[in-house]
Amino acid sequence: MNNHLKIKKFVSLSIIMMFWWGITSAQSDSLDFLRSTGKIYAVVTVIVVIFFGIVIFLFRLDNKLTKLENQIKNEQ
Amino acid sequence: MNITKVKDIFIKELSIEFRQKFALGGIFLFAATVVFLIFKSFNNINPREWTILIWIIMLFAGLNAVVKSFLQEKRETYLYYYTLFDPIDLIVAKLVYNFVFLCSLFMIILVFMAVFSGFPVKDSGLFFMGSALGIFGISVVFTFVSVISSSDSGNATLMSILALPLVLPIVLLLLKISAVSTRLLVDTAVMQDVWLLVGVDSILLGAMLLLFPALWRS
Amino acid sequence: MSIKGLWWKIGGALIFLVVLIGGMTIPTRSGVTATQPSNAKSGESIIISVVGYNTHFKSAQNHRAWLKLDLIHAIKSSQFIAKNENEATLTFSVPDQFPSDDQVQPLTLIIDNEMDGAFVQPNALFVTLNDSTRIGNGPWLSAALSNLNKSEGIKFPYRNILNETIRNTFFHVALWFAMFLLLIAGLYHAVMYLRTGLYDHDIQSASFNKIAILYGVLGLLTGSVWAKFTWNTFWTTDVKLNMTAIAMLIYLAYLVLRGSSSDHDRRAKLSASYSIFAFLALIPLVFVIPRLTDSLHPGNGGNPALGGEDLDHTLRMFFYPSIIALTMLGTWMATLLLRYERLKEKIFLKS
Repeated sequence: MNNHLKIKKFVSLSIIMMFWWGITSAQSDSLDFLRSTGKIYAVVTVIVVIFFGIVIFLFRLDNKLTKLENQIKNEQ
Repeated sequence: MNITKVKDIFIKELSIEFRQKFALGGIFLFAATVVFLIFKSFNNINPREWTILIWIIMLFAGLNAVVKSFLQEKRETYLYYYTLFDPIDLIVAKLVYNFVFLCSLFMIILVFMAVFSGFPVKDSGLFFMGSALGIFGISVVFTFVSVISSSDSGNATLMSILALPLVLPIVLLLLKISAVSTRLLVDTAVMQDVWLLVGVDSILLGAMLLLFPALWRS
Repeated sequence: MSIKGLWWKIGGALIFLVVLIGGMTIPTRSGVTATQPSNAKSGESIIISVVGYNTHFKSAQNHRAWLKLDLIHAIKSSQFIAKNENEATLTFSVPDQFPSDDQVQPLTLIIDNEMDGAFVQPNALFVTLNDSTRIGNGPWLSAALSNLNKSEGIKFPYRNILNETIRNTFFHVALWFAMFLLLIAGLYHAVMYLRTGLYDHDIQSASFNKIAILYGVLGLLTGSVWAKFTWNTFWTTDVKLNMTAIAMLIYLAYLVLRGSSSDHDRRAKLSASYSIFAFLALIPLVFVIPRLTDSLHPGNGGNPALGGEDLDHTLRMFFYPSIIALTMLGTWMATLLLRYERLKEKIFLKS
């Protein structure tokens, strides 16, 4: 069950990654937009990446803690 | 460190190796097969491919060889060694053994490659010096990692996962030195790379000698 | 080591907020993006069209422009016509006399006005000498650069190609420095574990290393985004990039090692030894090898290093705080992981 969920998560994550990849690499229009006004959107993208990194960390920690809480609840 | 003890362990390792002729033959057969396969599929190997291929064959053949040498012994044997030897003696003997073994493996691969596809090395002095230093670094990493993976229930997959990223910088330096020695690259500062290799080797060796006694106790 | 209290968490968050706001709102200085044409012959009169960035060609009044040969030799433009704020055409008459007889002479363009200050485009024009060109100072000495304006207020330096992405110094580059500080913290605890054998040191070391790996992965991702906009590919053969990728592989192997064993004591010992070994293998990897080979990164292959003109004091004003803030936030995240591991351990021991 747990493994099943993990696979699901992985698949959805990779689909999102592929979308992002497709958007940034295939369409030159969107890249041109990102390059406009002195490439400031490159900086925005970098900040967004860092933000998502930290948010993903928080989500994973949250999940782990929930599991631990459930474990404690079951024991009591 | 006790030289005679180191020699004893070294000879013991060597005799074990020669007793299992099939395993030894297996590694050399592996090397020969890969070289032949490459020769047949490339037909004509240029110096660039030659240097890259020789190190890739070396890496994987060496990995196979070292995995086998450390994992063949059982935990009980280790307990027996523990009462018998100083850990530094043991690890130095293992290291020397691995180094000699990998060097001879390298020479054999070199002979195979030379027979099938020529020997493009122009500056042999640089090539062999660089190779010896690189193989020494590779054997330090392989020995250390084989200790780690053998104390973790003898997992051979773990060994390749841990060892390959660690030897990558050494292999990259080796590729550059070989490229210079085959005159693919002209670099007057190649000695800097050689010294860097010496530095990497000594750092890794020092780390291993410091860390092994702590690991050994488990 | 137990870091308690709220001040450093709030401090880290606040400093990062300041870096975020300052780093995004402070403008960059004016600069030249492109000039046309790039070649000329000596003795002819040429019209150079200039595309500027962040410039005020229309609204500023006192425009002056020079073509500079070296420290003392320069010629002044005879005419400056602004098309709009960012485009202008300059007229120069290149003299038939040159101080030296090099066949091709590179000239640097300097534009100056009271709103943008003075800014430079190196090697804007290459002048090929005619057969009739004489050696001599001619008009070169008369048009000395004087009374250059300075742009007011705090502004980030302008670099061609980099443009606004110079702000990524605060986020991408600082991330690497913070990663190294966290790895050093992890190393310290690994050594302490081997010396004392306290299990707590092992989980501290693991938490720091895990956050460092998170930073490392983010560093690679952000670097790849930045590279796409400046070098136009996601991944280059650049040594520094590939070496750090190898470093990440080594530490990912560390995670595999930690996940492979269930025996706490053995796992702790193995992963502590491996992480010390890996860190030592990392030193030549990240610091020494890139210095030996050409790289697109600053500090290599003729590029200026950090601390040179690339990192001027306005950048430093945010760069160092950013490192501190990211390290503090990283430590915060590491302690969160640590507290989780401690709780898990406690429950494990109870049951």
